[in-house]
Amino acid sequence: MINQSQTLQNKTLRALLPGDALTGGGTEGGKKAALAEIDASCRVPVLFFFLSGLAWLLAGTILALVASIKLHTPGFLAGWEWLTFSNVRTAHLNTVIYGFASQISVGVTIWLMCRLCRIPLVAPGLITVANLFYNLGVTVGVGGILIGDSTAIEWLEMPRYATPILFISYALIAVWTIVTFRLRAERHLYVSQWYLLAAVLWFPWLYGTAQVMLLIEPVRGVVQAAVNWWFAHNVLGLWFTPIGLASIYYFIPKVIGRPIHSYYLSVLGFWSLALFYNWNGMHHLVGGPLPAWMITVSIVASVMMLIPVITVAINHHFTMVGHFGKLKYSPTLRFMVFGAVSYTLASLQGVASAVRSISEVTHFTHHTIAHAHLGMYAFFTMVMFGAMYYILPRITQREWPSNGLISLHFWGVALGIVLYVVPMSIMGFIQGTMLNDAAVRFLDVVQFTLPWLKLRTLAGLLLAAGHVAFVINVGWLLVRMFEPYRKPVVSILTGEAETVAAAKLP
Amino acid sequence: MSVIAFILLGSVVLLPAAGLLALRWATSTGQFRCPDKAALLPFDEVEPVGMETDCILGGNRR
Repeated sequence: MINQSQTLQNKTLRALLPGDALTGGGTEGGKKAALAEIDASCRVPVLFFFLSGLAWLLAGTILALVASIKLHTPGFLAGWEWLTFSNVRTAHLNTVIYGFASQISVGVTIWLMCRLCRIPLVAPGLITVANLFYNLGVTVGVGGILIGDSTAIEWLEMPRYATPILFISYALIAVWTIVTFRLRAERHLYVSQWYLLAAVLWFPWLYGTAQVMLLIEPVRGVVQAAVNWWFAHNVLGLWFTPIGLASIYYFIPKVIGRPIHSYYLSVLGFWSLALFYNWNGMHHLVGGPLPAWMITVSIVASVMMLIPVITVAINHHFTMVGHFGKLKYSPTLRFMVFGAVSYTLASLQGVASAVRSISEVTHFTHHTIAHAHLGMYAFFTMVMFGAMYYILPRITQREWPSNGLISLHFWGVALGIVLYVVPMSIMGFIQGTMLNDAAVRFLDVVQFTLPWLKLRTLAGLLLAAGHVAFVINVGWLLVRMFEPYRKPVVSILTGEAETVAAAKLP
Repeated sequence: MSVIAFILLGSVVLLPAAGLLALRWATSTGQFRCPDKAALLPFDEVEPVGMETDCILGGNRR
């Protein structure tokens, strides 16, 4: 009876597969689709997610620059009431987290799931509807923030009328991922699939739980702060981090043509992340009016995160050993390795910042902002850029038009984020010691930060230059889709190199 | 039962249970049995081990 039911279920699901793939799929395994067929099937949905994500990146970059300038020049755009610092900073965060990073994540997840399940994209209509809901939700949410409807809850600032739209989208994406997993033609799971499946199931749970406990039926008192930090921290750890690591585990081996150093370590890293990360968050409330044990549990969990972090670091490093020279040739590898190293650094900084004696100095300072950017940008965003450099030529069947723009992009964002994170981390630490010294006037602390904040704006301009270069290159690539294919000197699509004389990226 | 209690109960009971079920499914289907094979999953006959796939200026080298 159960077997009959499962067979019927598999038949129903398999009806979603396009023509040639009908013979395959299901948990029994079956005919594996060709990579080119998979890439072609992903073209429209993945492009939708990437392009709308990049549009939000540009919007988020402008908002970030305005917010950064306002920190040292408060009179900037002061006549526009909807552009107050609180509105702009909040709109920036929500634009880049939900508009850019999450949408690129979904695009990468779709492509990786299809490739690793070895089936063409199923139910493209479901994904398209999810994308439309998603962009509608972010537009309504960011618009609501700018007109003053923010909920004032960190990372959940979008007004209540926007969030159900986003939740529908997340749920549709989760359903699509499960359907794809059920139809897979490859029985064995790669470690990236573990991370991706977990992420798409964890996030709707996180988002739904936080929405109910903070907005729909709000808990009272300090529990609000506990739930808020649990959510804010776990969005990083259980949504963005798994997708970032899934990408690194796939793209580094693919680019250099070498399997990961230790598959055992990669699985250990996944399960230890699943076990320890969701306890994190309340270490941000050191010194707050919470039961000490709650904060201690989070601190212990933060320190335990050393296990997945070290396993991932060892695995990535030993996979790359002997292949670092290839960083000259591959933009994907450059961004991925930059992101992988930043993951280790961000995690170690996070562990250190969770310790009470350090948190007492660094929290409520710019050090925390630097840490957030080290994780969200230097790690996650760089990895997503690297993934897009790999995926876009394959789904569009066109080569990147300009290597100069690739280099401008990489060096702009790499220098920009280093110039952002390093000085802000140092400044935040000094700021914290000054704030803890009762003999120092608060105004002196504020004045001390001014030159550092100007440096932050300069870093933001470098990041913006990199973003513009990337968007121009992507736009150019799309224009090429409507022109006849012209094989370049060296092709990444045909696997042939007519000359290697041009050598390396600048 | 309030919505909050329902969510907390769900989180405390169902999530760890789902994790344990996933782990049991993985062991029973042999997901951890052959790590060398699993590590090769990103590769296939078109793009095998040893083939670099993103060398824009250096060319693809087998």
